[in-house]
Amino acid sequence: MSVIGTQAAAPPLASPRASRWATQRHRQLLLVACFLLPSLVVFVLYRIVPLGWNVVLSFEAWSPLKPARWIGLANYAEMWSYDDVFWTALTNTLIFIAASPIAIAAALGIALLVNSDLKGASVYRTIVFLSYPLMAVAVGIIWRWMYDERGGIINYALRSTGLVDRPIGFLQDFDWALPSVIFAEIWQVVGFYMIILLTGLQSIPQNLYEAARIDGAPAWARFFRITLPMLRPSLFLCIVVGILNSFSSFDLVYIMTNGGPGHATELLITHIYKSAFVQTRFDYAAALTVVQFALLLVLTIAANRAAGGNAGAVERD
Amino acid sequence: MITRRTLLKTAAAAAATSVIPAPALAQGSKKITFLTWNIIDQKELIEGWIKRFQAAHPGVEVEWLDKKGPDFGPFYQTQLTAGTPPDVINTQGALGLEYAAQGALMDLTPLFAKEPAVKARYDANYLGNWIYEGHNYMVPFYITKTLLFYNKPMFTKAGLAGPPKSFDEILSQAQKMTSADSTGFMTLNFDWLYWPLFAENGVQLVTPDLKKTAFNTPKAAEVLDKLAKSTQANAINKISWTGRWVEPNGAFAAGNVGMLHAHSPAYFFFKGQGSWVTPETLGVAQMPGFWATPNSHGLGISKGSKNPELAWEFLKFVTDQGQAGELAERRKLVTGNIAVDKATLAKLEKDDPLVYSILKTQLEHTDKMTGNWRFGNDSRVKDAFWPDVQSALLGRKDAKSALADADRKVSRELLRA
Repeated sequence: MSVIGTQAAAPPLASPRASRWATQRHRQLLLVACFLLPSLVVFVLYRIVPLGWNVVLSFEAWSPLKPARWIGLANYAEMWSYDDVFWTALTNTLIFIAASPIAIAAALGIALLVNSDLKGASVYRTIVFLSYPLMAVAVGIIWRWMYDERGGIINYALRSTGLVDRPIGFLQDFDWALPSVIFAEIWQVVGFYMIILLTGLQSIPQNLYEAARIDGAPAWARFFRITLPMLRPSLFLCIVVGILNSFSSFDLVYIMTNGGPGHATELLITHIYKSAFVQTRFDYAAALTVVQFALLLVLTIAANRAAGGNAGAVERD
Repeated sequence: MITRRTLLKTAAAAAATSVIPAPALAQGSKKITFLTWNIIDQKELIEGWIKRFQAAHPGVEVEWLDKKGPDFGPFYQTQLTAGTPPDVINTQGALGLEYAAQGALMDLTPLFAKEPAVKARYDANYLGNWIYEGHNYMVPFYITKTLLFYNKPMFTKAGLAGPPKSFDEILSQAQKMTSADSTGFMTLNFDWLYWPLFAENGVQLVTPDLKKTAFNTPKAAEVLDKLAKSTQANAINKISWTGRWVEPNGAFAAGNVGMLHAHSPAYFFFKGQGSWVTPETLGVAQMPGFWATPNSHGLGISKGSKNPELAWEFLKFVTDQGQAGELAERRKLVTGNIAVDKATLAKLEKDDPLVYSILKTQLEHTDKMTGNWRFGNDSRVKDAFWPDVQSALLGRKDAKSALADADRKVSRELLRA
């Protein structure tokens, strides 16, 4: 029986039995607190305190060797009115997020294929998943070379097949850079989405499909009426992971383009890094971080609502 | 067997040790930390220096840390914040000035006044690159500035007699060498390394007092427009404006780029990749007007050093004839130590004439260095200027509006400073 269940069933305190019960309950709570305390202390010290300090810092002018000075909303005003890079980075981050469904759709297609009676499905599954455990830095370097104008395999293939006359500067061109980075990101994460969706697919009771077949439902109807609705929790997880990835795709962008050309591939996370560690503007970077955090919160809440509003809830016994 | 009394004594001693202030402990061992910028390959050399320095200073410990370029700033900033900055630091380009402006570095001016012989050992123009608001914060460790490398066979094939003598000649020669598989000119673009292209046209970034912008002029627009048009015509390789280090040097190494405007270390990179690079095929020249942008490495002392005198001793030791000479010989570079560089060039003239011709350019016309404004916020000015200009160079914006936009942003940074 869980502690929560025990609390719900507690009898009135007046009787001696209740008093004994309360003592037992206190002991249990104390025990729970003892188990939780080390993790909570670490969590508060490494998450809550820095987050709070970051919020305070966003209202101050501060650098490592100068005392902090309260400047109110000045950092936010600068972000809103003067910082063109912020708006570019925000737009790019949103485009990154918007690209997640492409990866999820691709992953779903692959998951459906490897879930079928396809010969060698497990081999394909492994091949598709292999990209995910790779370090983002390695993925960045691999793709940077593949996109390379002179020796890259993509340009080689395009030129060899006569599709283009001149090599394409995938990472140097303002129009190509962001889609190219997004493609590399999709390539890396698609295997992970596939595994999540495959698990979801395999947990759908087969009798639903059998019943639908007996009723004469065509394949598309079985997909839209059974598969997709039953996959909703897995799809929600993929969407949340996609949002989180979009906000934290630092390594890939940093390695492949460093936010360039211009700021064509700048994301909020790279803008924050550069503000703090290249321009030594920790105060302004803190304000950017607060905005990013708020945006992440809003998007996660929206995704949760879209998934029925109870994603992540723990069932009580 | 450990008795209870022994255990208590040990615990009491441990507790007492933990409350002794850290500086008191440090005084016992006199330790300094030396932070370098991506020269881990010189492990043997630097450990040798440390061994010799420690032998000459008994009881002193020198700890060496090396960080790659992208890790250097975050590491140093966090150490500053923690109040434990490395004592002696090696930075590249204008970063030292930014640290000086933040108050992170010790002013070396009074030390130079006490020991003029130390100041006299360095090339004055290179030393001057680390003067911020009249005070000197760093000394040269190893020095570089830009020059023009050119591919002699491509010049011959295009019927060109020699390297360009003017900006317009750079563009016209580049055009002559351009074909479906080759481009005429390429430059590195980080840290203002492309600025000689503007300087040789008389374009200045800011006024001499560093307070106002000076680049938003018809002449600057004309230069930018010409560069953009040459880029569109493929006479200037587009990588000039998009690549960092590996891409442009790698492209030049491939042997189908006529000219490369880069600083001297580029030679060792493209030579390693380009089998065509020999003394017969690689040409070396100054840029027209002898303009060049320095990108040197300097040594400074953190203001938060617990042992500043020792740090100063170490800094002098590393840049004296013995150590600087060793560095110059091993890495084939110039150090900014006048005597060492003279000896290095004399030796290289016999042993390696090509490297000699490259390094010789590093010591000539040092009064014509540009792109080395003594900003305390160089990275912010750079970031305010470059994206709009880059857009114009790549044909995304017209030159006039790019300069106007950059002007607005740079003015704001100058005002903030």
